[in-house]
Amino acid sequence: MAVWFWWLLFCLACWGPYALLSKLGSNEISAAGMQVLNALGSIPVVLVVLARGGFKLEKSRKGIIYGLTAGVLSAAGNMGFFAAFRSGGNASVVTTATGMYPVVTVLLALAFLRERLTRVQVLGLGFATAAFFIFSH
Amino acid sequence: MHIAPWFLIVGLVLILWGFTAVFQKLSTNYISAESTLVLRTVGFLVFMPFIYPRGELFHRSAHSLGYGSLAGFLSALGCLGLFAAMKKGGKASIVGPLSALYPIIVVILSPFVLHESITALQGLGVLFGLIAVVLLSI
Repeated sequence: MAVWFWWLLFCLACWGPYALLSKLGSNEISAAGMQVLNALGSIPVVLVVLARGGFKLEKSRKGIIYGLTAGVLSAAGNMGFFAAFRSGGNASVVTTATGMYPVVTVLLALAFLRERLTRVQVLGLGFATAAFFIFSH
Repeated sequence: MHIAPWFLIVGLVLILWGFTAVFQKLSTNYISAESTLVLRTVGFLVFMPFIYPRGELFHRSAHSLGYGSLAGFLSALGCLGLFAAMKKGGKASIVGPLSALYPIIVVILSPFVLHESITALQGLGVLFGLIAVVLLSI
């Protein structure tokens, strides 16, 4: 198998347990507490990334602003993810439902970037709508 | 119609993470994926003072604190794995959709780790959700 595929499996092997641990932690700790721990837990990985790059930061102002905004929005979304677990959501269902965020991304691209939907994406939206309908019951 | 509280929260998460993906994409137009990962954590730290639950964390058991911090560690490590997959020749159009399949691991392991099960209808919803993510990411 290609090297990239092993890295992909590594990614999946990290994110699957991430969701399971998030559910386990959310059973005992508030969503805010979980997000604080989440931030602290990610620091060692970030330090390794920074060390590999010689602790040099890229200086694109736009890149930094967009990246920081993404970080803050991601943190707020994480809190919701933990809160959904804490309020009794089933781990498999919550993880799948929140994993459908590309639906919003596609709709945003449609509204603001005036991108057109491909037939495959329309089909994807159809499946997403059906999934939400099922989960809402 | 009764809608469970968690379902409404999921709607909020979708909006926030949907916008996150847009800003991450915009960010990687100007800086590397690694720098975007660093800024993600900086964003987490910027957000922290607004939500810090004073005192709460000091009264929690070591294993529950471990769950939370290990989850953060694995989340960031998974991002690195994704970037590495793309750097090692994996096409973004293939790696992206495949990486979105991590809920499969949750579905498989939940009965053993969390002692949770899903109904046949929820299973169908999970299947539809996974198909949707792959189709939308193509």
